[in-house]
Amino acid sequence: MSVIRRFVFGENPRRTVVRVLVLAAISFITFRWVLIPIRTEGGSMLPTYAPDKLHFVNRLAYGASGPVRGDVVAIQMAGPHVVYVKRIVGLPGERVAVEGGQVQINGTALPEPYVHNRRSWELEEVTLGAREYFVIGDNRSISDFGRTPASKILGKVVF
Amino acid sequence: MPRVAAIVLTAVAVAAGAWFLLSPADSGAAVRARLQALADMVNRSTVDGLGPDARSVQLGAFFAEDVDVDLGRGAAPIHGRDTVIGMAERLQPRTAAFQVKFADVGIAMAPSGATADVHLTAEFLRRNITTGEQTLDAREFTIGMRRVGGEWQIARVTAVDTLEK
Repeated sequence: MSVIRRFVFGENPRRTVVRVLVLAAISFITFRWVLIPIRTEGGSMLPTYAPDKLHFVNRLAYGASGPVRGDVVAIQMAGPHVVYVKRIVGLPGERVAVEGGQVQINGTALPEPYVHNRRSWELEEVTLGAREYFVIGDNRSISDFGRTPASKILGKVVF
Repeated sequence: MPRVAAIVLTAVAVAAGAWFLLSPADSGAAVRARLQALADMVNRSTVDGLGPDARSVQLGAFFAEDVDVDLGRGAAPIHGRDTVIGMAERLQPRTAAFQVKFADVGIAMAPSGATADVHLTAEFLRRNITTGEQTLDAREFTIGMRRVGGEWQIARVTAVDTLEK
């Protein structure tokens, strides 16, 4: 019995319990407020992110500076528990248009090596506001797109 | 060091307990419960064997008589409880593998306590009856609720485009 107890609790049970509690507290804080686990649904971010896979959103990624073009971000709906995962293609103040399926930023074609299933579609030019980003999924055959305010960006999808 | 950690943990536990005990009661609890009841009813409807008439009565109790539903994206606005129920009845055969869940429910109660504005994300889980494949859809909604005869009813539903076009 004492062997099992020693195996479970170690030489100093009180210290082990404290360590476990500290570890549990750190894990709780980390995965609730810092590194949020998300599960992708659907194929709008294929091939970069496959459906039904676990990923993490870093909520602290944009503490000092805003998202940059090419970042994959989580955009919250009514709250943080259901999010869109999209790629940022347009930054605040830029003019964004889509011509024949090709994204144009301020009138210049944006190189997009990550695009999957490019199809021909058009979007009339829109000018983004001071705190607004334009996002699209990588799988252009099915992905939703549009403008989102910075306040709805939950964080950066890190892995 | 373990003693310091134990003191910190105890302090955190005491603070959490105090917050839990002293924080004001959720004034929107009744609204939240009503929405959960609606979701439960929709989800149960595939297995409880209730007929269409009984289902209409059940569903109707959740909506105000003059309810307005705006699903956006070019969909025609829907007005009136009877229209909503009629549409639900027509959808019934196709909802055999349909589940709905409300997430991130935010409730703003009017000072009078008679109306409430709700902002939520609705998740729709559909299972293809033939292939068994599941698809999950989610949409953001604002819902206006009104207390009628002691029961909360949905008076307005507006779909919100998370990504503005």
